[in-house]
Amino acid sequence: MDHESPRLRLSILGIVVVSLFGTLFARLWYLQVLAAPEYRVEAQANRVRTIAQEAPRGRILDAKGRVIVDNRTSLVVTVNPHELQEVPDSAQLKRRLAETLTRFGVPTKVSTIERRLGDKQYNPLQPIPVAIDVPEELFVYLSERADEFPSVEVRRESVRSYPYGETAAHLIGYVGRISQKELADKQGTPSDPKPNDKPYQPDSNIGKNGVERTYEDDLRGYPGIRTVEVDAQNRVVRTIDEQPPIPGHDIQLTIDLDVQQLAERVLREKLDSIRGGRTRDGRLRAAPAGAVVVLDPNNGNVIAMASVPTYNPEEFVNGISQTRYDQLTGGAASENPFINRAVQGQYAPGSTFKPITAYAALSHGMIDRTTTYNDRGSYDAGDRVFGSPSAAGPVNVARSLTVSSDVFYYWIGHRFYRERATYGELAMQEAAFAFGLGEPTGVPLVDERSGNIPTPEWKRRIWESLPPEEQKFGDPNWYPGDNINMAIGQGDVLVTPLQLANVYAVLANGGTLYQPNVVARVLRSPNDPVDPGGVVREIQPVVKRQIPLPPEVRDPIVQGLRGVTTDPRGTATAPFRGFDQTAFPIASKTGTAEVKGKADSSWFAAFAPVDAPRYSMVAILEESGFGAEAAAPVVRSLLELVSGQQVTDLSEITGGAE
Amino acid sequence: MARPRSDRSRRDLSAPWRHVDGLLVICVAALASVGVLMVFSATRGPTDPPDRSFLVRQGLFVILGAGVMVTVTLVDYRRLRDWAWVFYGASTLSLLGVLSPLGQRSKGAQAWFGFGSFQVQPAEFAKVALILTLGSLLAMWAGDIDLRRLALVLVVSGGPMALILLQPDLGTVLVLVSIVLGMLLVAGLRLRYIIALSIVGLVGVVGILNSNVLKQYQKDRLTAFLDPSRDTQGTTYNVVQSQIAVANGGLTGEGLFDGRQTQLQFVPEQQTDFIFTAVGEELGFIGAATVLGLYGAVMWRVWRTAQLSRDLLGTLLCVGVLSMLAFQIFENVGMAMGIMPVTGIPLPLLSYGGSSTLATFASLGLVLNVHMRRFR
Repeated sequence: MDHESPRLRLSILGIVVVSLFGTLFARLWYLQVLAAPEYRVEAQANRVRTIAQEAPRGRILDAKGRVIVDNRTSLVVTVNPHELQEVPDSAQLKRRLAETLTRFGVPTKVSTIERRLGDKQYNPLQPIPVAIDVPEELFVYLSERADEFPSVEVRRESVRSYPYGETAAHLIGYVGRISQKELADKQGTPSDPKPNDKPYQPDSNIGKNGVERTYEDDLRGYPGIRTVEVDAQNRVVRTIDEQPPIPGHDIQLTIDLDVQQLAERVLREKLDSIRGGRTRDGRLRAAPAGAVVVLDPNNGNVIAMASVPTYNPEEFVNGISQTRYDQLTGGAASENPFINRAVQGQYAPGSTFKPITAYAALSHGMIDRTTTYNDRGSYDAGDRVFGSPSAAGPVNVARSLTVSSDVFYYWIGHRFYRERATYGELAMQEAAFAFGLGEPTGVPLVDERSGNIPTPEWKRRIWESLPPEEQKFGDPNWYPGDNINMAIGQGDVLVTPLQLANVYAVLANGGTLYQPNVVARVLRSPNDPVDPGGVVREIQPVVKRQIPLPPEVRDPIVQGLRGVTTDPRGTATAPFRGFDQTAFPIASKTGTAEVKGKADSSWFAAFAPVDAPRYSMVAILEESGFGAEAAAPVVRSLLELVSGQQVTDLSEITGGAE
Repeated sequence: MARPRSDRSRRDLSAPWRHVDGLLVICVAALASVGVLMVFSATRGPTDPPDRSFLVRQGLFVILGAGVMVTVTLVDYRRLRDWAWVFYGASTLSLLGVLSPLGQRSKGAQAWFGFGSFQVQPAEFAKVALILTLGSLLAMWAGDIDLRRLALVLVVSGGPMALILLQPDLGTVLVLVSIVLGMLLVAGLRLRYIIALSIVGLVGVVGILNSNVLKQYQKDRLTAFLDPSRDTQGTTYNVVQSQIAVANGGLTGEGLFDGRQTQLQFVPEQQTDFIFTAVGEELGFIGAATVLGLYGAVMWRVWRTAQLSRDLLGTLLCVGVLSMLAFQIFENVGMAMGIMPVTGIPLPLLSYGGSSTLATFASLGLVLNVHMRRFR
């Protein structure tokens, strides 16, 4: 072999090595200089995490500034899943933790802890709560034994508290863990995000009902954001940036706690006292539920809104269990405590509807204040006779309201049918619509119902939607009887208590239909960093429409309503005996609405004082009998309170006749 | 050139210690220092106080390694030849022993002997032993390699390869393959045999990948670099994270102890196989290129010594060391930058590890030895 061969071959080796190094340099240049920006983004995503810290929710105050919904600190035991992974004997730790919790009065099973830890709703970067509202002693115990309970921590969390218990539960609503759907509503989906400056986490709380839901955007604070650096095991190494949370805005309700609490108390007491008895026609007074609404007719503000049965929002504080929820809602619909009957209950208004029929007749000039009709106790519509409990004799419109003559309104209802060429086919319905019936009032509460005002077209539509085999029992046509029934608030007329209170508010204020309000103003939190306690905005009254109520129309109606509690034959004179009306005259109407197969709904609607009304009130007690018997005493108590009189014990109020 | 003058003064100037390759020593010292520093950076942890255990141990390995290097230079490499078969036998025995119950298993390979808190990896020393053995054989034949001799070379080198493959440690086997190929090339084996051997080697690797010698995860690791986006948390996690770390350094680096990928331990095995990512991230292109430059300088000095050697044995020893280091550097750095498959090969002088550090110093001692004695 050639002597020079090794040198030559060494050169080959050298070339190979040089080219290998050249390759490395090229790749290094590419990675660190050319492609570095893209990789830097990935490096950032690797190590930087943001952790949201929920802000305390705003409080809810009554009209006088009393705190109805506050926040309290709850001691929460948490387990950090990442730290738990590194605990050598985690099963034993979980068992010890469950035993300790149980010993301190928080019964806990290992399986409960494991279920919580596996729950997808929690952010695995953050400690997961395994026990809530633990006693202070446990906090001390665990704090002193941190080394025996690695990964376990007790922290203080802000949760809702209700100093007045069940008071205004329906109106206030409650908060709960945000659902997938709500999360998507609030900030879109990953593919279609919506900007939200108060971003939610999958474990955030959100208002689920009542003003907690409708004023969510005010009540919710700005979450604090902690930007942290994590290592490859997702352990937090240091805090890069921290923005403290800003508490949510307080909201001040239009509700007056005194009126609200009395409304709830007397409503419940009345229902309890009559439940189980019999009406004069022998029906069982089941008295399962009822509602009270108190409005300010000058602006539509809701002063009180009660619905019975009710629930304690405290039960929702740490999430209500399915078992408990089923237990509460398991009974008949009439016993469901979660229904806010003031806006979700739909009832036939009965005689409380008569002022609307009167308004229709007077405003169309069909009758005037002097027009008289002789109530002989029944009305012959030609093909059918409509009965009534008693004969009132000759009555004009005012008298017809005072004594609640059915026959007078049968006559008017029948005339609207016969003279529809003159007044239009829908004269009565249009009057009802004008007063806001048949549509939601627009009160900022959840799932408000619109009630129902039947029309010929509606009747046909309902019939057409029936399955064929049921259609033969129904009838698509509108008959005089439909008008006659509607005139006394029966048939298919349905109203919510809030709608009816709004009708009497319109009569009270001379023709302005307001959209009811439950919130007066939004205030900054006392802990707000910028302007503690400052007014964010005043909620202005919203006028939905103006109804012409000239004196010749309004006066006879008001005069009739005045007589209800003052005339010797007024339907509610008995239950108002002893009520001093000299400084606080009342206009009111009883209602006894028939419900097929059940005892009557007992209604009472009123506004006062008549000359400058400040209150419009409605009470309904389901399956309770005459309006004067059950509902009138409830409203009387409230009128006594707001007029500064001694509130009479319910048992001392005698019911009247209808 | 002042050749005559040099001839006249040879007696005075030929003392080996006068001809130490100072530049090589400086480059090696610089690389080993960077190595100790980066091992510390990769292992100190994100919180205070820093973990110093790896720093102390690697520092100790480097001092020991320097001692080994000096020791190797003391004995003339031509006399070391007489001991080649002893080294070869000892190395083969220890490779056998490590497969026995005496050996320890770690990270899926039966590759270590345990001595207290230290572990010895005989495969690292087998590389040096093979260089010595092949050097002696090939130098003896002086360029005349027929097929019978080639077969002998393959048998001699095939033994340790097979034993290491059984651990299994494909990376080190590939280092041995490159040593054999490099030495055969320079020793004068016909180019067509070289090419044939390369093809056989390639087929062998493919065959190993398709056999049951390697575990599935090892095969996945080897092929992951072909498509790193396939599974970022699984087998390709290392490939992706190490590239992110290197790229995150940019031109000037994040600063020593400030590389976020490094300090937050996003790169597994960073102090050993992926030490280059710490260099890349914290010292940037400037630092990483300097380290590569230092390696280049080492390669150049070793190559130059191969040229200057007064005999074929010296040349071949240097070529063996050159092949070994060049392959390890290219494979390791290439792996950290995502252009080579992931195999567990340490980066010479930088990676944490006693056996690898000592073996590297020993091999460089051989090169210094040849350089020192190039005139006598």
